[in-house]
Amino acid sequence: MADSPEATDALAKREPDVPAHDPIVSWSTSGIMLVCALLLTFSLAWSLYDEAIGQRPWKKMQREFVARYDRYLNSIRERASQGEDEIKNSPEYQALDAEANAAKEKVQPDIDQINAEVKKIQPKLDAVTEPFQNQRGKLTVINYNIEQASGGAKEKYRKQAEDKRNETVAVEMPDDDAAGKIKVVKMDYATLEKTYNDLREQKAKLLGDKAEKSRESQELAKKRDDYLKNHLTILTPSQIDGVKKGLKSFDYSILGHQVSVNDYNIADRCEVCHLGVRSPLTIRAEDMAPGGPGKDPDDLARAFVSHPNKELLDIHKPDRFGCSSCHWGNGRATTGEEKAHGLNKFWLWPMFEKENTEAGCQQCHSKDRVTQGAETLNLGRDLFSQRGCMGCHRYEGFDRETDALTNARQTISQLEDQITANDKLGRQDAAAAAEATDDTDARRLLAHAESLRVTNSLLAARIDQMNLQSKYLMQDQKKVGPNLKDVRLKLAKEWIPEWLKDPQAFRPGTKMPTFWRFSVDKNGDHEIKAISAYLWQTGFDGKTPDQQKGDVNNGKDLFETKGCLACHSLGAEDNKVGGTFAANLSKVGEKANFEYIVRWIHNPRERWAPYCPKHKRDLTADDYKQAGKPFVFDTELHSKCPIDGAELQVQNMTVMPNFRLSETEARDLATYLFSLSSRPGREATAFMDDPNLKEQGRQLIKQFGCAGCHEINGFEEEQRIGKELTVEGATPLERLDFATSTQDAEQGRDPLFKELFPDRKEKEWYTHKGFFEHKLADPSIYDKGKEKAPQDRLRMPKPYLTDEWRTALTTFLLGSVGTEGANVPKSLFYDPQDQRRQDIQNGWWLIKKYNCVGCHQVQVGQRSILMDLPQYSTPEGKDLLPPRLTSEGARVDPNWLLRFLHDPSLNGGQVPAATPAAQSNAPVGNAPQGGPQSGDKYPAQPGADRNGVRPYLKVRMPTFNFSPNELQTLVRFFMALSGQQEPYIKEQLDPLTEQDKLVAREMFTSGTPCLKCHITGEPAHDAKAIAPNFLLASERLKPEWTFRWLLDPSQISPGTAMPSGLFKRDGERWAVNLPKPPKDVADYHGDHARLLVRYMFLMSPDEQRRLLSASPAPPAAQPAAQNAHAPRRRLGSELGWFRAEKTERRNTVASLRSQRPLARAPN
Amino acid sequence: MDWHQLWIIASAPDNVPIVAMLFLVPIFTWMGIRQARANDRLIVRLEGDTKLAKTHHRKVEPWRPGWAKELHVWPYLVRIEFLVTLIVTVILFVWSITLNAPLEEPSNPNLTMNPSKAPWYFLGLQEMLVYFDPWIAGVVMPSLIMIGLMVFPYVDSSPFGNGYYTIKQRRFALGMFGWGFLMWIMLIFIGTFIRGPGWIWFWPGQTWDHNTVVFDKNVDLHDFIATSAIGKFLHLGFLQSTAGKAIFGGLVVGGFYILGGLFFHWLMTRGGLDRFDGSLPLTRRLWLWITTKDKFESKLLARTSLLQYLTFQFFAVSVLLALPVKLILRLALTIKYVWVTPYFNI
Repeated sequence: MADSPEATDALAKREPDVPAHDPIVSWSTSGIMLVCALLLTFSLAWSLYDEAIGQRPWKKMQREFVARYDRYLNSIRERASQGEDEIKNSPEYQALDAEANAAKEKVQPDIDQINAEVKKIQPKLDAVTEPFQNQRGKLTVINYNIEQASGGAKEKYRKQAEDKRNETVAVEMPDDDAAGKIKVVKMDYATLEKTYNDLREQKAKLLGDKAEKSRESQELAKKRDDYLKNHLTILTPSQIDGVKKGLKSFDYSILGHQVSVNDYNIADRCEVCHLGVRSPLTIRAEDMAPGGPGKDPDDLARAFVSHPNKELLDIHKPDRFGCSSCHWGNGRATTGEEKAHGLNKFWLWPMFEKENTEAGCQQCHSKDRVTQGAETLNLGRDLFSQRGCMGCHRYEGFDRETDALTNARQTISQLEDQITANDKLGRQDAAAAAEATDDTDARRLLAHAESLRVTNSLLAARIDQMNLQSKYLMQDQKKVGPNLKDVRLKLAKEWIPEWLKDPQAFRPGTKMPTFWRFSVDKNGDHEIKAISAYLWQTGFDGKTPDQQKGDVNNGKDLFETKGCLACHSLGAEDNKVGGTFAANLSKVGEKANFEYIVRWIHNPRERWAPYCPKHKRDLTADDYKQAGKPFVFDTELHSKCPIDGAELQVQNMTVMPNFRLSETEARDLATYLFSLSSRPGREATAFMDDPNLKEQGRQLIKQFGCAGCHEINGFEEEQRIGKELTVEGATPLERLDFATSTQDAEQGRDPLFKELFPDRKEKEWYTHKGFFEHKLADPSIYDKGKEKAPQDRLRMPKPYLTDEWRTALTTFLLGSVGTEGANVPKSLFYDPQDQRRQDIQNGWWLIKKYNCVGCHQVQVGQRSILMDLPQYSTPEGKDLLPPRLTSEGARVDPNWLLRFLHDPSLNGGQVPAATPAAQSNAPVGNAPQGGPQSGDKYPAQPGADRNGVRPYLKVRMPTFNFSPNELQTLVRFFMALSGQQEPYIKEQLDPLTEQDKLVAREMFTSGTPCLKCHITGEPAHDAKAIAPNFLLASERLKPEWTFRWLLDPSQISPGTAMPSGLFKRDGERWAVNLPKPPKDVADYHGDHARLLVRYMFLMSPDEQRRLLSASPAPPAAQPAAQNAHAPRRRLGSELGWFRAEKTERRNTVASLRSQRPLARAPN
Repeated sequence: MDWHQLWIIASAPDNVPIVAMLFLVPIFTWMGIRQARANDRLIVRLEGDTKLAKTHHRKVEPWRPGWAKELHVWPYLVRIEFLVTLIVTVILFVWSITLNAPLEEPSNPNLTMNPSKAPWYFLGLQEMLVYFDPWIAGVVMPSLIMIGLMVFPYVDSSPFGNGYYTIKQRRFALGMFGWGFLMWIMLIFIGTFIRGPGWIWFWPGQTWDHNTVVFDKNVDLHDFIATSAIGKFLHLGFLQSTAGKAIFGGLVVGGFYILGGLFFHWLMTRGGLDRFDGSLPLTRRLWLWITTKDKFESKLLARTSLLQYLTFQFFAVSVLLALPVKLILRLALTIKYVWVTPYFNI
């Protein structure tokens, strides 16, 4: 800075002097500059590295995959070529090969000739094509000009076109005669066109001939190649080489492995790393092990495996669904495992853990009751409904009957309002019409009033329908737990508090959850007392008729054979036998009254007193008496309130069906159950009669929501107390109240760790999965350490859950996300519009509700509880299993099925003795009506002790009292499951001529002694029979199915006793498979199997008798005491015989001619 | 002390600038002060040595023989700027490689995050919402602050201190700006480290528990007074009527402006403590500081025009004083509003 003008002048001229020790000037920055420059270079290099490699970890994985996959392919290459050689050397392949070659050689001369002709035509066509196309093009232009021109110009162009047509062009045609020579031909346009078209036609005809001639040989060659392809278990060597070649030009990129579905905004890059998912070969982790195929796999190897369920991928094609739709995770992320799997904090759809994968199914299949292939999810749904979760928690679709009932009742009241409003309007119109000055107006008003009256009558009809629906829905409404109005009749008084304290201690694994509050609350014991007191004091007061003890051994036999074990179990822990659908009965004797249990077994649906939803109380005999009606109530005729005709709840709301046992049998069964345990001495519980405790008990029952599962006096209309869980999985994590566990959950400290996952690493559980698992494992966990009044504490009791069950329920909840929470667009949801699939899902609700799968196999691959019991595991035991229903819809007439499900005894509601077919109940002092046998306290039931179709089975199809709604749903389910058309119209069969009858009769008796096994209605014979009566066939079966059954029963029902190979193919027809058929049979040239079907379907009792008399001598008659309705003892004694026959049956077709009974018919 | 949580907050990519600021602001403030003090010493020396003042060329230290008389931008400034460019580039490179942008995944429309925090540079504004009406905190205050910053050069009547750091010559201006800046940083700090879920006040080290419950009942000043024992004794219930509270609030706010103005007027002429002999006891010096004017500052005040003076007073009272006063009223005395009218609340 210059201070003077002189200095300013000097400044312009002189160089600044630079002193060596100036603190700024002499300070050298080169050192630090160098360091900074190096740092900058380094960070630039780092950023480039990060861009190319750091942010693209998948590149390394892809290289690794290619290396390992290549190694694996090499390892199987040899095996594949060996396999191929083996097949090529097989006689079948050789035969096919020879056939194909022979066919080819046969047509070769013709083909050669055609080829030669085509070779001649082609040069000519080539020669003429270009000149023709040129001329045509020019003409087209002229034509266009004609069209566009006007006036004289049009003519000018026409002239031009004419000239063009007449113009000749030189075509260099090859000469036919002199090979290789060219002949120049002049052609005008018409000639050109014709020549061109002719040549093309000739060529096309020749090629067509060639294809026709070589078709057969090509088909044979394809057959041969297909044979090879279908018989190779892995790829052919050439296919493997193809895959290897593909690896050589592997696309190391993201886009090359990305699935993008534009319609649904899906862009999934999962396969950028998971490269083996859709590989044509099934890749296992061992195959991709770092040390070579077969060594220990590492994480990377596990990431490279094929999708474990290829079938599933075929249905849910990744090209349409992507991956993240089902699995969740962040499909777009490729920078790391945590990001890609969506495990980072803010991602809304973190990938499901392996054991919860099926949660993804639930997103779209939320309306399904059973989703094929999703066993864990299905188990979760089963548990949710069967273990009583839905008693407290609403879940859309689960409580179908109650929801529908509420709707129906609302609709009824709306309709009633509408009728009242219409009435008023009609009266107003009529009044206005009377006042009207104008005729037209008056007429219009009167017409309107009339239309309102008609509308009202229509509405009334709808109300009737709704009332009927309400009746059915009430009939179908069930509770998970027993009816607690019956406690006084059923239970030992002192047992109730003991049970409430800890149900799991008394009966491990019971559905009744443990109410932990009783042990946490300061006055927990008092609460138990109050609840017990309320239940005891509000229960039905009365006494079930006295019963004598029966036959223990018979009871045991009945218990083990009638099918009780399909739902109930006996024994504790490892010795437990039977199903978990219903209670374990080992300790019934410790808690229940013998008389009540007899009554219950006799008919569990029989209610003590009907409940009237309108009066909101249980009706008494007095109510009936005042109305002048007998105290009788049942689902059929006496379901209305005697006071005002409202529909009553006339059944116990249990799913336990009626086994139509005689009272004696019920007594025997109860005696057996009571022989397993006896009532111990307990402390007296006088407090249960304390009226002061009752009111406290009411409050507590309300608070704990006991009425969710139980019928309790005063709580019939009680609502659920729990949170609706339909979209629980979509609740934002922040709204799941981890309470004082929040910090622990976030930082991976797990109080239940040892209990829940002893084999896992302790980890963060601040996730939906963590919340649900912990809540299910210990519902009090989110209440721990909180200062709360007892009534503010969490109410969820602790359910009994195995680890597997907890996982299943967690899976179910995780997937319950609704439309908003799903990672899938709604348009991809599974929402079948076709009747068939809807029918199947509707049916599953019932199948699961009544546990049909406990006894029956409804789907191929599904196992019933009975199938796994020891007594049914032996070969002869298997034949005593209830029928397989896998093709039920194809087999039976839907109308028959409806009748059968309504009344499995098929005896038309007849009662053995002449007593009313009604459930009547005898309260105190009202002596019950006498049964058919002396000493019986209950009226005999319709169809008692009778199996409708298979009297020879010990296990019994019980009566479920299905409402018409459910009957229809079930029938439609079975029809839909077998893909049957509806409505079903019975096929008309040609009537039988006398000759037909004769032939059929001979067939029946000569080769296949059908009547040996099938029931005929003759008691002596039926004692031996093990197959249904032919008289049933026409109404029960479908002819087409019966025909297929006759041909090959084992294909429809593997392991059936009915023999296969009864008929042989003879040209277009099926003939009886006998070396020397009787003359009449041999002379009959129609289809033998079809004749037999017609014969069976048109069989009359007369004809059956005739048939029977024509049969070879029946086996020695059984003692008269044994009849068809006591098949139990008979079968027991016949098992030896049966086994012997079975063995023989399998031997040869010739054995069919044996005189001994051999087979069972369709079952 | 919840170290885990402190680490979570401090290490969040969002908060990197704030954590850096915790160090950078003091460092640069210290550097500025150091430079200013050096300059102040130079000023004293040059004021006492006119000859030296004539030959003095360089600002940091008095020129010494052998030093360059003048320093050119090129290369002496540019090379340092270039060095800084290099260093900043390296920092940005490393930062961008190691910490990803704090972008979160798709938002959940069903859920508002808690705590829901603005970007760090707006956290001061967000924190202000606690103390003022949204309209005041979100619109009026920011506007005042921005206009005030624009106005500052024009209300400055001092010819000194252009182009060099000095405390001595710009004591009041520096003090006011420093105070405003510190307040702003404090608000951001509170927003980042103190406010947890529910925007609840968590002391450093206290765990941010989502379930934390606090009882926080804020009352308006007129209610506070009317319902207090004194208010009841004096029958001040009329303060709670619509007109009563509007008039009362207006009076209080008006009084605040008058008192605030007087306070700043007084503060303007105080100068530094160092104007007194260092051998006097501190209390004596403080007393003198409070009661006597600084000549230099008084001269500066005399140069100030009325418009400049009033403009400054308005902004100073409205922002620099109102904010901390309201903050204390709210946090310490749980006063919600001072002036409640049907149209606005302050």
